[in-house]
Amino acid sequence: MAEGAAPQARRRILAGEAGLRLGAAVLALAGIGVSTYIALAEAGGGAPVCLAGGHGCTTVAQSEYSHLAGINVAVIGIAGYAGLLAAAAVPGDAGRFAGLLLAIAGFGFSAYLTYLELFVIDAICQWCVASAVIMALLLIVNGTRAWRYAGAELASASPR
Amino acid sequence: MASRKEEKERLRRERLRAEEGERVAQRRRRAIQLGSVAVLGALVIVAVLIAVSQSGGGGGSTDIQGAADVESLLQGIPQRGTTLGEPGAKVTIVEYGDLQCPVCKQYSETVIPDLIKGPVRSGVAKLEFRNWVIIGPESMDAAKAALAASRQGRYWTYIELFYRNQGQENSGYVTDEFMTAVAKAAGVPDLQRWDSDRASGRWDAAIAADASEAQRYGFSGTPSFVVAGPGGTQPLGTPGSAAAIERAIKAVG
Repeated sequence: MAEGAAPQARRRILAGEAGLRLGAAVLALAGIGVSTYIALAEAGGGAPVCLAGGHGCTTVAQSEYSHLAGINVAVIGIAGYAGLLAAAAVPGDAGRFAGLLLAIAGFGFSAYLTYLELFVIDAICQWCVASAVIMALLLIVNGTRAWRYAGAELASASPR
Repeated sequence: MASRKEEKERLRRERLRAEEGERVAQRRRRAIQLGSVAVLGALVIVAVLIAVSQSGGGGGSTDIQGAADVESLLQGIPQRGTTLGEPGAKVTIVEYGDLQCPVCKQYSETVIPDLIKGPVRSGVAKLEFRNWVIIGPESMDAAKAALAASRQGRYWTYIELFYRNQGQENSGYVTDEFMTAVAKAAGVPDLQRWDSDRASGRWDAAIAADASEAQRYGFSGTPSFVVAGPGGTQPLGTPGSAAAIERAIKAVG
């Protein structure tokens, strides 16, 4: 009886983690969708369409800060979200570590871009805000995953 | 016998509890290690991204480029106020632009020269530039500097030269030195008068009216164009080519 308790506990723990991994994957896919739209809209020298009108998206898209070393920031966003999607798919501490690292970096960079929108460019693009919110949610999900489940595989050790 | 069995069971439970406690402690240690490394790694990534983003700043050069090109492009075409071209031209092309806008710069170097060499030089149409200030306070300073040049017949020269020397938006490059250097290169005859004109509040109402006008047309960004003539008015938005504007000129002319 006792020999089966630890693997059962481990299965229970990992089943709880599966929900968080699924949530992270869904959020990452949403992030890929938003970033891809921004990148495609800007590809021809245009800008994403602000849903409530206004020209915030155009102003932000035309800003020098919309590119980083010649690469559209939205393309960097797609890469970041793709990494987060991969991290959600990878089990164990490797996936937890990668997810947390990318989510903190993504959130930090989103915060910097939001600061630029508010105080330097003086315009807000709803699509960038949407991406920043998705990144904040990904930080919460990946932070919870890492904190609750880091080292969960240690629970598989059989009692002596 | 029973008490020995109970004692054995008690010890076993204690051992399991201790092992479980150790496993929890191990997991907490792992979480803290993982979190610390992730935070440090992420900080490095964000610092690098911000450094690259900020390294693009600069501008403010007083070494103005393109004066000869602009001079030859505008040579012999009348400039009156904010208008370039024959005052009697039947068609008016209005551009709503922001002097800091990079797409407007592209238009200034590709689309506008075709219009100037074609319908404007031939007297079919005249061009008017209206300042739609959307990028930031530096755009407002630049707009007033250009409008001040309009009082001395150098508005379009100023605008075209500004675009050819445009820096990164809101990076602090639109300094008094930069604007003065553009005015000098544009051949503004009386720089002292230009300097006091750009500082006056006389342009505020006109700039605000231009912005309202662009918004009334429902434009979503700069540059946006309107072509008006005897045959009507065509708000084009950002048309993408000189050919699209020329088609509108034919339609309303």
